[in-house]
Amino acid sequence: MSEYRSWPPDGSRSESELSCEEALARVYEFLDGELDASQHDGVRRHLQKCRRCYPYFDFERLFLDYIHELGAAEESSPGLEDRIREVLAAQPD
Amino acid sequence: MSIPAEHRRTEFEGEALVHLDALYGLALRLSGGDEPRAEDLVQESVLKAYRAWDRFEAGTNCRAWLMTILRNTFINEFRQQKSRPSPVDFEQVAERPSSGALYEADPEGRIFDHIIDDQVISAIDELPVEFRVAVVLSDLEGLSYQEVAELMEIPVGTVKSRLFRARKRLQERLYEYAVEMGYVK
Repeated sequence: MSEYRSWPPDGSRSESELSCEEALARVYEFLDGELDASQHDGVRRHLQKCRRCYPYFDFERLFLDYIHELGAAEESSPGLEDRIREVLAAQPD
Repeated sequence: MSIPAEHRRTEFEGEALVHLDALYGLALRLSGGDEPRAEDLVQESVLKAYRAWDRFEAGTNCRAWLMTILRNTFINEFRQQKSRPSPVDFEQVAERPSSGALYEADPEGRIFDHIIDDQVISAIDELPVEFRVAVVLSDLEGLSYQEVAELMEIPVGTVKSRLFRARKRLQERLYEYAVEMGYVK
């Protein structure tokens, strides 16, 4: 495929000309680091130019950070450690 | 108990039990806040780890090793129950790209500094299990779409759509909390 990358010579838009809708459809894949290098670059270039999409992507980034920070927190359960130590002590050699 | 066995157990306890709270945190989120189930899951995982302790390479990341064991233990149970359909019809959330009410009301995300933890945690816990597991594995544990797909035995496209729906649902819940608190109108 790669040798035909420039085909057709016109009519098809390159990744540098993503529409807002195309960029928005990729917001999570972009933020999750799931796009390949050229797709990622296409979205990145759209964001550099687009005053409407940039703040929205930034909002989604803050949201994902927030969920990660709160959700991945440690929790303690009183008695669980003692219970587990007892079970371990009862294990055969 | 022989001395080497006791030594082995002491060594295991010293290395592994410091990670109990991290394990319990993950177990609680995977099980949707079900405390007895989360405790059983941690206990089962720690026992598995203890039996496999000889295979743990000293000096490598013990926490990551234990978290993987817990994740796999949960997923095995989840797969066995998977044939049962989710009781919640969650497929109706729009899948079109949409920013949603939360963004419209608070585009700078100031609310993320104000909404208290418990409300967010319960919003995650209340997601239907197949959506919750995708969020926990991806957003909390940082697994790739491919890794989530393999663990849950679903296509990558389904992972994407579950994450999209679950994240939009969480934003809807946050928006509702924000309205209740009078933080947004």
